[in-house]
Amino acid sequence: MLQYLIILLDDTSTSFCHYECTKVNRKLISLENLREGIFFAMEENMMIQFVYPDYNLPQEYEDVIESIDHSKIKPASCCDNADVVILNSLDETSDFQFQEGIPYVLRIDKENLFSYRQEVRDIIEKVARLNVVITDIDSFTDDDFTTYKEFLSESVGQLIDLYTKGMTPQFNLLTDRMMLHEMNNCNAGHETLTLAPDGNFYVCPAFYYASPCDGKEISLADVCKKGFSVGSLEKGLDVKNKHLYKIDYAPICRICDAFQCKRCAWLNRKTTLEVNTPSRQQCVVAHIERNASRMLLEGFRKKGFYLPEQEIKEIDYLDPFEIKRKR
Amino acid sequence: MENLKIRPEGKVWQDGVSKSITFIVTKDCQLACKYCYLVGKNSKERMSFETAKSAVDYILSHESQFTEASVVWDFIGGEPFLEVDLIDRICDYIKIEMYRRNHHWFGSYRFSLTTNGINYDTPKVQDFIKKNKNHLSVGLTIDGTKVKHDLNRIYKKSGKGSYEDVVRNIPLWMSQFPFEGTKVTISSEDIPYIAESVLHIYSLGIHQVNINCVFEDVWKEGDDKLFERQLVSLADSIIDNDLYKDYSCSFFSEHIGKPQNPIDENQNWCGAGQMLAIDANGIFYPCTRFAQYSLREKKAWTIGNIHDGIDQNRLRPFLTLDRCTQSKPECISCEVSRGCAWCQGENYDAAETPTAYQRATAICKMHKARVRANNYYWNKLYRKLELEGLREEFEKNKPKSKDLIC
Ligand code: SF4
Ligand code: SF4
Ligand code: SF4
Repeated sequence: MLQYLIILLDDTSTSFCHYECTKVNRKLISLENLREGIFFAMEENMMIQFVYPDYNLPQEYEDVIESIDHSKIKPASCCDNADVVILNSLDETSDFQFQEGIPYVLRIDKENLFSYRQEVRDIIEKVARLNVVITDIDSFTDDDFTTYKEFLSESVGQLIDLYTKGMTPQFNLLTDRMMLHEMNNCNAGHETLTLAPDGNFYVCPAFYYASPCDGKEISLADVCKKGFSVGSLEKGLDVKNKHLYKIDYAPICRICDAFQCKRCAWLNRKTTLEVNTPSRQQCVVAHIERNASRMLLEGFRKKGFYLPEQEIKEIDYLDPFEIKRKR
Repeated sequence: MENLKIRPEGKVWQDGVSKSITFIVTKDCQLACKYCYLVGKNSKERMSFETAKSAVDYILSHESQFTEASVVWDFIGGEPFLEVDLIDRICDYIKIEMYRRNHHWFGSYRFSLTTNGINYDTPKVQDFIKKNKNHLSVGLTIDGTKVKHDLNRIYKKSGKGSYEDVVRNIPLWMSQFPFEGTKVTISSEDIPYIAESVLHIYSLGIHQVNINCVFEDVWKEGDDKLFERQLVSLADSIIDNDLYKDYSCSFFSEHIGKPQNPIDENQNWCGAGQMLAIDANGIFYPCTRFAQYSLREKKAWTIGNIHDGIDQNRLRPFLTLDRCTQSKPECISCEVSRGCAWCQGENYDAAETPTAYQRATAICKMHKARVRANNYYWNKLYRKLELEGLREEFEKNKPKSKDLIC
């Protein structure tokens, strides 16, 4: 069931996830579309998340936005009154004044993550919650998996120390799985939809920014003609094959217990051509996180922090595809 | 009591344990069959030996990706025998390389072609057959009676039917491949000719007819009734004339037309992704139906190429597809779903989004008609056997094979 509507306020609204914002010229959503979008969300009983660009919006926009309950996703460079702040690189974190109680999202590629592990970990100590989004998961190699595992086990040690000192930061890659008993994925297309400045709906912003005609992806060429949109304010929603965004229709994910995984429909589309089928890279990365969460849980238990209901089993695979194939 | 020997239903060599690797050697053909799904057929694209060699090199040097016990090296077109010199050269290279690399397939391989039969008796084709006889299967396509065959299978240039030129070669083909069957494809216009065509093929000495309805959305109002009537008439002829003892037709199978358990009977039907197809440009596909020349609406679905190899991520959707995930609720709970086939390529081509996970069900009413006729066939056959006191004997000897896939 639809629950969240993401409204991109401008073509240059910050990315908050795996995709890149590929548009360079500012183009605000029209006031009319903004109002219509809000009206749509009210009718559908959806919670709105506004995604901001790196400049202040005209007051009339802010007035319309304030007419409804919502949350604001803003880039660190222009983040007054944000509910979630996006750091688009580590550079943005030096001299940055982190605010208490606000979740921060750090978008970072693997090279920077692996080269500046300490700098990334330093942020964990400064914020209530840090979400690290790796922007090039699909390019992970076997060596990267090893380095990622090292980074996470170092972070496990750090978190145990912090919790022992009485601090309770959340770090999505490690603490989320520990608290979950069922899948908690992005659910774009199923629970979440995006309204773009062009007045069209998309499964997620990634599908709006995707350039289907880059010539490499010939299978997407037919999408080129029609674009990735799944309806418009004018004509209404039209998500074809929408069941494929549900976990029940994802043959690999439905047997998986890496509950924290985003199960990114966009990365799926990009790597396997099917929105319901993840790449090996996405699965292995999520399982390295899952297994590190298991280590964290064990570490917490040794220190006497007790999470009675939680158990993360030991497993001998990193990619549930292998399990599905054996069945 | 008369000893009742029943001819088994069609079996595929090493079915289920072999990898099928298909070279699309040419898109050219002498014929322009009306139902041909190769919408982008042309006479220009032919595979070079170098491309085929690179494909073979890639495949044989990645043994860990190809763990199946056996392999079928398949050559298709267009009409593959238009490129018999090329195929011969590729087969030689495959044999030498499998031996040189001590590849596990060397002891268990087969070459396979399906021809329109027109140049079957030419010296070059015959030399190729003799040379590879022990590792070769050649299927030949004949659609039935002259009228039915010539309705569809016409020459590209003259528009003339090809029946005479094919039938002339059948005795030679049967003498070389006595256990091969022929493949017949049924579209809307072919329905009135089904019964006489199958009987005609039997009369030519071909014992096995593998027949199926096209998956495309071609069916008209009333086609299912007409189809059922044809199959009932065919059933009468086969049973009344005792043809069931020595001939088989894949339309009639004891296994079809039952409900399926969503847990134990959840396998995908089609073998796309388990197979590998390679085109003239060295592009890899999960099956030939995903190559551009086979698609009406969609763009080609590639899974790699001879230079970069197979993109394993692109294979994952195919290797994890199951019946229920791609089927609508009415198919999952369908009382007669067993044997109701689909083609992944047609699913993709007909889908509302670029996905292989939307099952095309244009065949629905035809399958239901087939099931009704099939029930008639088995009821009638068993009644006859009981009256003749042969039922027990039949149960002991009856064929155990499964439906043919693709
Ligand atoms: S599908 Fe979800 S996880 Fe993937 S980029 Fe879009 S919002 Fe992020
Ligand atoms: S780890 Fe893989 S199988 Fe599990 S939820 Fe994530 S994408 Fe799906
Ligand atoms: S297509 Fe029709 S006959 Fe086939 S399984 Fe679905 S409902 Fe049954």
